[in-house]
Amino acid sequence: MTSHAAGSDAPQAEVIGAGQTNPSPYPPVPSGHQSWPSSTGTATVSWNYPVDKPSPDTVYYDPQRDVSVTGAESVGSSVPNAAHSTMGMENAAQSHVPYSNTVQHGYNPVDYTNYYYSYPQATNDSSVQQGANQHTGAAYQPLTSFQNSGSYIDPTSNTYYNAGGHQTVPGYGSNNYYYQNNSWNGGSTGNHYAQAQPYQNYTPSDTNSLQSSTSMPTNSLPYQQQYNQWPYYYNHSVPNASSNPATGNSTTDTIAVNTPSGYSYSSNQPPPPGTTSWKNNSVASVAPPVQAPGVPGPQHQYTNQAENQYSPAPVGPWSQNNYANQPLAFHHDTAKLNHAPPSNPEVQQKTVDSKGPSLNILSTNNVSENFQPNLQGSVTEDTSSERKIQIPTNPRIAPGLSMLVPKSEKKNLGADISKKPAYISVSVPAKDAKTAQVGPDSIVRKAIADGTIHTKNWDTEPLLTMPEGVVALTETGAKNSSPFLPTSTPRKRLKSRWEPAVDEKVTDKVEQIAKGWVNSNIHNSSDPKNKTGSSRNQGKFIQSQQVPLNKVNQRPAKKQKHSSQIQNGNASSDSDKEQDLTKYYASATTLANSPEEKKRREHRSKRFEKSQDSSLKSRNSFENNKDVMANMRTRRAVSSFLTRNSEEGTSLAVEDIDWDALTIKGTCQEIEKQYLRLTSAPDPSTVRPEEVLEKALAMVEASQRNYLYKCDQLKSIRQDLTVQRIQNEFTVKVYETHARLAMQAGDLPEFNQCQSQLKRLYAEGIRGCNFEFSAYNLLCVMLHSNNKRDLLSSMASLSKEAKQDVAVKHALAVHAAVLSGNYVLFFKLYKQAPNLNSCLMGSEGSVISGDDGLEECEIWLKAHGAVLLADNNGELQIDMKHFTCQSQRMLSRMVTHRLP
Amino acid sequence: MAAYLSMGEAHRRIGDYLARVSRAISSSDGTALASLLAVSSVPASTPLTDALAAFPDFPRLAGDRFPNLADFLVPLLRTIHSHSLQRYADAYSSFEKAASAFLQEFRNWESPWAMEAMHTVALEIRLLAEKADRELTTSGKNPDKLQAAGSFLMKVFGALAVKGPKRIGALYVTCQLFKIYFRLGTVNLCRSVIRSIETARNFDFEDFPVKDKVTYMYYTGRLEVFNENFLVADQKLTYALVHCNPQSELNLRRILKFLIPVKLSLGVLPKRTLLEKHNLLEYADIVTSLKRGDLRLLRQALDRHEDQFLKSGVYLVLEKLEPQVYQRLVKKIHIIQRQKEPAKAHQIKLDVVVKALKWLEIDMDVDEVECIMACLIYKNLIKGYFAHKSKVLVLSKQDPFPKLNGKPV
Repeated sequence: MTSHAAGSDAPQAEVIGAGQTNPSPYPPVPSGHQSWPSSTGTATVSWNYPVDKPSPDTVYYDPQRDVSVTGAESVGSSVPNAAHSTMGMENAAQSHVPYSNTVQHGYNPVDYTNYYYSYPQATNDSSVQQGANQHTGAAYQPLTSFQNSGSYIDPTSNTYYNAGGHQTVPGYGSNNYYYQNNSWNGGSTGNHYAQAQPYQNYTPSDTNSLQSSTSMPTNSLPYQQQYNQWPYYYNHSVPNASSNPATGNSTTDTIAVNTPSGYSYSSNQPPPPGTTSWKNNSVASVAPPVQAPGVPGPQHQYTNQAENQYSPAPVGPWSQNNYANQPLAFHHDTAKLNHAPPSNPEVQQKTVDSKGPSLNILSTNNVSENFQPNLQGSVTEDTSSERKIQIPTNPRIAPGLSMLVPKSEKKNLGADISKKPAYISVSVPAKDAKTAQVGPDSIVRKAIADGTIHTKNWDTEPLLTMPEGVVALTETGAKNSSPFLPTSTPRKRLKSRWEPAVDEKVTDKVEQIAKGWVNSNIHNSSDPKNKTGSSRNQGKFIQSQQVPLNKVNQRPAKKQKHSSQIQNGNASSDSDKEQDLTKYYASATTLANSPEEKKRREHRSKRFEKSQDSSLKSRNSFENNKDVMANMRTRRAVSSFLTRNSEEGTSLAVEDIDWDALTIKGTCQEIEKQYLRLTSAPDPSTVRPEEVLEKALAMVEASQRNYLYKCDQLKSIRQDLTVQRIQNEFTVKVYETHARLAMQAGDLPEFNQCQSQLKRLYAEGIRGCNFEFSAYNLLCVMLHSNNKRDLLSSMASLSKEAKQDVAVKHALAVHAAVLSGNYVLFFKLYKQAPNLNSCLMGSEGSVISGDDGLEECEIWLKAHGAVLLADNNGELQIDMKHFTCQSQRMLSRMVTHRLP
Repeated sequence: MAAYLSMGEAHRRIGDYLARVSRAISSSDGTALASLLAVSSVPASTPLTDALAAFPDFPRLAGDRFPNLADFLVPLLRTIHSHSLQRYADAYSSFEKAASAFLQEFRNWESPWAMEAMHTVALEIRLLAEKADRELTTSGKNPDKLQAAGSFLMKVFGALAVKGPKRIGALYVTCQLFKIYFRLGTVNLCRSVIRSIETARNFDFEDFPVKDKVTYMYYTGRLEVFNENFLVADQKLTYALVHCNPQSELNLRRILKFLIPVKLSLGVLPKRTLLEKHNLLEYADIVTSLKRGDLRLLRQALDRHEDQFLKSGVYLVLEKLEPQVYQRLVKKIHIIQRQKEPAKAHQIKLDVVVKALKWLEIDMDVDEVECIMACLIYKNLIKGYFAHKSKVLVLSKQDPFPKLNGKPV
C-alpha cells in the first residue's frame, strides 16, 4: 500500500496540477498532495470516483445536483462511472479529477497540519477532498492546536461547503476534542449563523439555513449512535476501504475516504448499508485520526470509537498510518469483494452498483447504478459549482456573519462563513437535490428568494419522509430499501420528525407551492453560475424522484445524509456519515435513473401539491428543525461570544452580554407555526416578524378551531414576540387575546401567564384594555387564590379612574358579595358580568348550568352532608347546622334558581 | 471649611479616626466601635468628612497605616466620604464591602463583644440601602440595594443564629430583615427566619432582649393578620403591646393600628378614648357602625379610609366585620320587635330586614337577605332557623345573638 501510495502520490500531484485546476489554493499543499496524487495517477479514474464517494457530503450534494445534471445527461450517467473516472461528467470530470487529488491530499496531509491550510485554499477545486481533509482536520486540530483548526476552517470553509459541514460535525461529534470542539463549534456556529442570516436576508424561509442548523443537531445525535455502531462500522468500513482499494491501492488514503462513500452506496440498501456508509465515514474519520496518530490526543479520542481501525493504523508517521489504514481497508475491501466481487474489480462506482444488487434492494440496485454515474457526475459538477459558488458566497456570508456577530473573531467568522456555506451546500444536498442546489447557490438563493423557497418546499417534502430514517440508521436503511416499495407516506411521517428543516421548508412551501415550478425555474436561473443546467436537472430529478415512493424516501434520505455528512466531516462521526451516506445513496440512486426522471418529475410536480397539503404535518417537524436551528444559533452566538471574550482577553459576566446585539429579527413568513419551547437561541428563519405575527393573530382570532389549537398558535406568537423583544400595543393585544381565550376555556395557568405579562406591559405604559384586565386580575386573585396580600396589593394598585370602570366596579362588587356572604348578589353579578368576568366567576367551584341545575345542587348538597328535608309542600329544607361554606354557596344557587 | 483644611490636618484627622477604630477592635470595645460605625447618623459635614474631602488619597493612608484592617477600613472611609457627598449608592456599595470584611472577622471572634457593632452594621446597611434605593429610583435605575442588604443580613443572621453566646443578637438582625422584607413586599421570605427562631430548642425566646422581642412580635403579628389568623395575631400583638415601652407612643400606635382591627374581628371593641389617645380615629366610625349595626356607616368608613387601610393591610380584616354589623342590625330589630310585639319577638320577617336596610340606603331583596341570614346562622352569629315558605327568620329563644367573646367569626 505504502508503495502504491508513494507512487500514486507523485502521479496525483501531476494529475492535480492538470485536472484539478484547483489552482491557487493547492499551491500551498501541493507537495504533499502531489505525492499522493501520484498513486492516483494511474488509478486516478478509479480514485477519483472513490474520492467523490469519500467526501460523501459533497458527493451527496453533488449527486443531487448531479442527478439534476444527470437528469439531462442521465443517459451517460450510468455508464459514466468509468467515464466519470476518466473525465466523469462533462463538468464533473474535471471536478472529479481535482477531487480525487484533493482527497488524496487530505488523507495524506493528515500528517501535515499544513495540509489543512493548503487544503482549504486548494479545496475549492475538490470539495470532496476537502471534506475528507476537514474530517481529518477536526481530529487533527485538537492535536495540533486551535490555530490549525482555525486556518483550516477558513480555507476549507471557503473552498468547500462540504468541508465546512464536516468540520462542524467533528465539533459536535467529538466531545473528546475540547479544544477542537470549541474552535470548531465556534466556527461551525458561526457558519450556521452566517448561513442562516444570509439566507434569511435573502429569503427568510431559506431551507439552507434551516437545513444547516438542523443538520448540525442531527449530526450530534448520529454521533452517539455511530459510536455504538462503531464495531459494525469498522467492519463495514474496512470492506468499503477494500473496495476502494480495488480501484486504486496506491490511493488507499483517499480511497478510504472515498470508499466509504462508495460503500455507503452499497450499504444504502438495508440497515447494514447504513452501517456501511457510516463505516465509510468512520473510515474517513478514522483516517484523520490515523493521521493524527502523530498527535496522540486525537487518536485516543477517535480510538474510543474506532480504536480497532486505529490500532492497526497508528503507525508513527501519518502517511504510514494512512497506509496502514489503507491496507486494512483493503482487507475489508476484499471482504466486500467477496460479497460483491464484481464491484471490486470494477470502478468503485461499479462496485457500488454491484453491491447495490447484492444488497437485495432491487430498486436501489437499479437506482444505484444509475445513481452512481449520476452521483459522480453530479458530484463533480456540484463540487465545481460549489467551488465557484462557495468562493463568492463566502465573502457574502462573511459579511452576514459579521453583521450577526460583529465582535466574533474575524478569522472565526471567515471560517464560520466558509463553513456555513459548506454546510449549506451539504445540508441542501442532503435534503434534496434542490436543496443541494440551493446550497451551492446560496448566493443565488439570496438573489432569488422564490427559487430558494421552491427548493425549500421540495426539501421539506423529502424531509418529511426522511425524519425517521435519521432517528435510526437501520431504519433509514430499511427505508431506503423500502422506498422502492410504495410506502412513501409513512416514511414521510417518520421523516417529518427528523426533518424539522424540511418542515420549515414546508411552511415556505405553503406559500411557495402556488408558485411551484415557477420558483424552480428561478432556481435554475439562480444556479446558473455553477450549474444552471444541473440545477434544473436536479429540480427535475427531485420531482421525478418524488413521484415514486422510492424517490420520496430517497429524498429524505438524502437530506439526512447531507446533515449526517456534515456531521461526519466534523467529528468524523462515522455513524452519522453512514446514515447520511445511506440516505444519500438512496437519493442518488433515485436521481441516477434518467429515463425514469421524466416520470418522476411529473410525479414530483403532483407531489409538491400534495406536500403542500401535508404542510401541517411537516410543521411539526419544521418546528423541530427550528429548535435545532435555534440551538445551533445559540451555540454560535455563545461561541462567538466566547471567542470574542477570549480574544479580548476579558471574560464578560452574563449581565454584561449585549443582549441587544443578540436580539434577532425574524424572517419567517409562515403565518401558522406550532409552539415549541425553545431550548436554545432562536433561529431568525423560524421566527416571524411582527407583520406576519399580526396576520397570525388575525388568523387565530378568525379560526374556528378548538382552544388547544389556538393556544398553541398564540404561544408561538408570544414566543416570537419575546425572542424579538417586541413590546408594544400589539404585544399587549396578543396577550389579551390569549388571556381571554384561556379564560373562556378555563385554562387558568395560561391565563395567569398572560396576566402577569400584561401587568408588566401595562406598567411600562403600553396601552391596552387595562381596566378590563385589572378586573380580571381582581377576580382571579379573590376567587382563585387564597393570597390576601395579593388581593390587597391588587386593590391598592387600582387608580381612581380604574375604580370608575364598569368591569372593575363589577369585580369589586363581586368581592364585596363574596366577603359578606351575599351569594345571591354574587349570582346576580354573575349574570350581569361585563366582558368575560363571568368566566372567572363561573369557574369558581360552582356549576352554573341550565334548568336542571337545581337537581344537581340537591345531589351535590347531599353528597356534602347537607340534610335535606321535604316539608309538607314538597319544599326542600336544609338543616343549616351542618352546612359548610361551600354548601351555602350552592344553597344560594338554589335560591337564585327560584328567582323569576 | 474643607477648603481651609491643610493636608496635614486632614491627614491627622483621618489617622485619628482610623486609630480609634483600630483601638476599639484591639481592645474589644463593642460600644466604641459601634459608634464609629454609625455612618448614616452623622451629619453631612464633620471634621472627618471634611478631612476626607481634603485628602483624597485616604485609601492609601488607611492601607499603609493598618494593612491588616485595610479591607475593612478602606471601604469604610469611602462610605463615609460618599455618604457625606450624598452619593448613597456608592456609599452602600462601599459599606457592603466593609460589612463583609467585618462579618468575616466577627465570625472568628469567640466572644460576642462586637455584637453591638454588628447590630450597628446591620442597621446601617439597611438605612444606607434605603437611601441608595431612593437615589437610584430618582435617577431611573433599578433599586436593588435593599434586596442586596437583605441577602447580606441573611449572612449575618447565619453567623448569629448558632449555638453559643452570639445567638442573643440574632433576633435583632431578624427584625432588620423583617423591616426589609416588609418594605420590599417579600414577606414570604420571613418564614425561614421565623422558623429558625421559633424552632430553636436550645435558646429560649424569652432570653432575647425585650426590644427585639417586641419588634419581632409586632412583625410576626402583622404576618398573622395577613394570613387572617386572628387569634394568633391577637396573641402576638398583645404581647408586643404589653411589653412595648409605654413611653414609645409611636410604637404603641403602630401596634394598635393592627391590634384594633384584630380585636374588632374578635368582637372586642375599643373605647373611644383609646382611639383618641393614639390618634387612631379612622377606626372610630367602624366601631360606631358595629355598635349600631349601621352597615352604611361601615361601608362609608371603609371607603373613606380605603387607601390607608389597603396600605396597612387591614382593609380585608375590616371588610370582614360586615357580618357582625348584620348581626347587630338583626339584634336591634329583634329588640324593637320584642318591645312592640313580645309574642312574636323571635319571628323576624325578612321583609322587615329588607326595610331596615332600605333605611340605610342599601338596596337588597328578600333573597339576598335570606342568603345573608343563612350566612349569619352558619357563622354562629345568629341562632335560629328559616321558615323559607313564609320568609321568616325564627330566632332561638336562648341567646339568639351569641357574642364572639374573643373567638373569630
